[in-house]
Amino acid sequence: MTPVEMSANLPEIPPTVATGTPAAARSLSIFQKRVRKFRALKRGYYSFLLIVAAYGLSFFLPLLVNNIALAVRYQGHWYFPIAQYHPAATFGQQTFGEPDYRALSQTFHSEKSGNWVLLPPYPYSPTESLLDLPGDPPNPPSWQHIFGTDDRGRDIFARLAYGFNVSLSFAILVLVISLGLGGTVGAVLGYFGGKLDILGVRVIEIWSSLPFFYTIIIVSSIVVPIYLPERNLVLQPSFWLLIFILTAFDWMGITYYLRGEFYREKTKDYVAAAIAIGATDRSIIFRHILPNSLTPVVSFAPFMVVANIGALVALDFLGFGLPAPTPSWGELIGQGVDNLTKWWLVFFPLAAMFITLLLIVFIGEAVREAFDPKEYSRLR
Amino acid sequence: MTGYFVRRFLLIIPTFIGITMAVFLVMNFVPGGPVERQIMRYRMAVATEGGVSGGGTNAEIPQEALDEMRRYYGFDKPVYTRYGLWLWNVLHLNLGRSYVYQDPVWDVIKARFPVSLFLGFSGFFLSYLVCIPLGVFKAIRHGSRFDLLSSLIVFLGYSIPGWALGTALLVLFGGGSFWSIFPLGGFRPSDWEYLNFFQKVAAQIHYMFLPVLCYTIESFATLTILMKNSLMENLGQDYVRTAYAKGLTERRVIFVHALRNSLIPISTGLGSEIGLILAGSFLIEKVFNIDGMGYLGYTSILQRDYPVALGILVIASLLLLVGNILSDMIYVIVDPRIRFK
Repeated sequence: MTPVEMSANLPEIPPTVATGTPAAARSLSIFQKRVRKFRALKRGYYSFLLIVAAYGLSFFLPLLVNNIALAVRYQGHWYFPIAQYHPAATFGQQTFGEPDYRALSQTFHSEKSGNWVLLPPYPYSPTESLLDLPGDPPNPPSWQHIFGTDDRGRDIFARLAYGFNVSLSFAILVLVISLGLGGTVGAVLGYFGGKLDILGVRVIEIWSSLPFFYTIIIVSSIVVPIYLPERNLVLQPSFWLLIFILTAFDWMGITYYLRGEFYREKTKDYVAAAIAIGATDRSIIFRHILPNSLTPVVSFAPFMVVANIGALVALDFLGFGLPAPTPSWGELIGQGVDNLTKWWLVFFPLAAMFITLLLIVFIGEAVREAFDPKEYSRLR
Repeated sequence: MTGYFVRRFLLIIPTFIGITMAVFLVMNFVPGGPVERQIMRYRMAVATEGGVSGGGTNAEIPQEALDEMRRYYGFDKPVYTRYGLWLWNVLHLNLGRSYVYQDPVWDVIKARFPVSLFLGFSGFFLSYLVCIPLGVFKAIRHGSRFDLLSSLIVFLGYSIPGWALGTALLVLFGGGSFWSIFPLGGFRPSDWEYLNFFQKVAAQIHYMFLPVLCYTIESFATLTILMKNSLMENLGQDYVRTAYAKGLTERRVIFVHALRNSLIPISTGLGSEIGLILAGSFLIEKVFNIDGMGYLGYTSILQRDYPVALGILVIASLLLLVGNILSDMIYVIVDPRIRFK
């Protein structure tokens, strides 16, 4: 959706003069105006910046929250374990496999031999079981493990941080795929109409009468890896399978919206003009009508992200979600319900989910206000 | 219009067949079905009885026994035959026999009906009872301090699913680490039969307080905002201006003229609520260990108890389908402008 097209298609909006030098004055497109309005709604705009920043940062989590050292200075040599694997023997540790960098750091520190280890700021991995802590896991919050550990001794803060990335990535991917699929189907049904439309709506009707969550659980309980012989690939029940399942139910809402929008838009003059100059169906659908019919979709996209995160957490909670070692909020809540005396298993993941969803709801409110404003004139 | 609804009811048939066929097929590809479970159980029994010398997992089940077992569970026939048989039985109101409980599926489900109905209806009434007045008040006092403050609660409702709130409430008030005010779960106390009427009422409220609260939260935000926006939209209409112009009191304009029309979108939700009453609460039932229909569905999937899982699907999807049609009917009744063809 380019701003130029939008302004071209909506001539009824009076051009406004942009603030700036008079020489550079030109009209603002409606899209630019909406973005400006969105930026003026501080609560939503700052929530948006916060979520984008946190999500961007979460891709660098291996550098921030991890048990693998960023850099090691050992006997005059530099090592960068975060980029390249070094066996424990390299640093004189008596174990096999990955060195214990936290222990190494302490050893070097007490030896005072000029060797040192640069650990990530929060030196625990989300999948590492810390069984050397006093007592049995789950361990309560302490200075080392600010949110405590779960029932397998894994650090909860680390799992929540990685879980944020997983949850948001999941929700956004489901949204994008649903938009693509639902958008295309809705556009085609609305634009061509007729028998195709009747048939399509019937199919969607059948599909949407499925008891949504119950069916998802039945499908997710498939735990068998599916072997695809021609591609020599084993399809594990995984992140992508779950995305596929959720998308299969999510796209219908978008289809309904876009179909309605297309029905309304296709009778307008600019479409007639496009047909008159001989534009192809594809060009009319995607270049002319689609940018004009995205408003309702844009304004409910944040709420779909909220719903997707909620669905993922619920599935993880029931044990039908992402495969086992994946850091997930719902799985922690599930552990908490089984260990009711261990309050930190429930409260911290709930807080993480709540804050994330609240910020996205704020974004959603602001987007709706900016893109689809409803002016209520109260008469007295 | 009668023709429209007759067609809608007839459409239930292909929809129902589509839904059940899809799920039936999926269930047939899920490993760990009843036959596999029986084999596992047999092997474990052999392993424990025979001890170390018994040969453990090498014990093979004789082919005849295996065939017998397949026949017992109906797995000796191809999928489409089995689906046809199952559908035929469902048409005769026979949902089969549970693998786990060894009882007819209908009896197993029927026993859970009252529990889910109780939870569903009380949550449903409570949410309408709270949300409609709140939404109306927010609309009348749009922009006031009360509106802004209650909007905060609405935002909270949007951002936390009811069942998730339930886990927090359970930790807080279930006597784990903090206060011990409410029971840890369950539908009724174990000494239910010996209680007199008032004790029963008290016990039921005690047990159902948290679950019903969570159930209410689930639809709180959407319902309140729907009510508010709907009333605000109507208050800007010409007929409201006319009502004011002819000198009606504000109370009369709002509560007699505007409110009636703004209840239309709310009332259409009633139909689909019927489907949700039974199927929508199973996360809450799981959190609070309430042995209702939703929880039964969850455990039946876990235990691969196909007849029960399918039976619940049948009931839930039929309720959903009928509920949708009911929604449209209510729509026609409350809004005479609507015409379906």
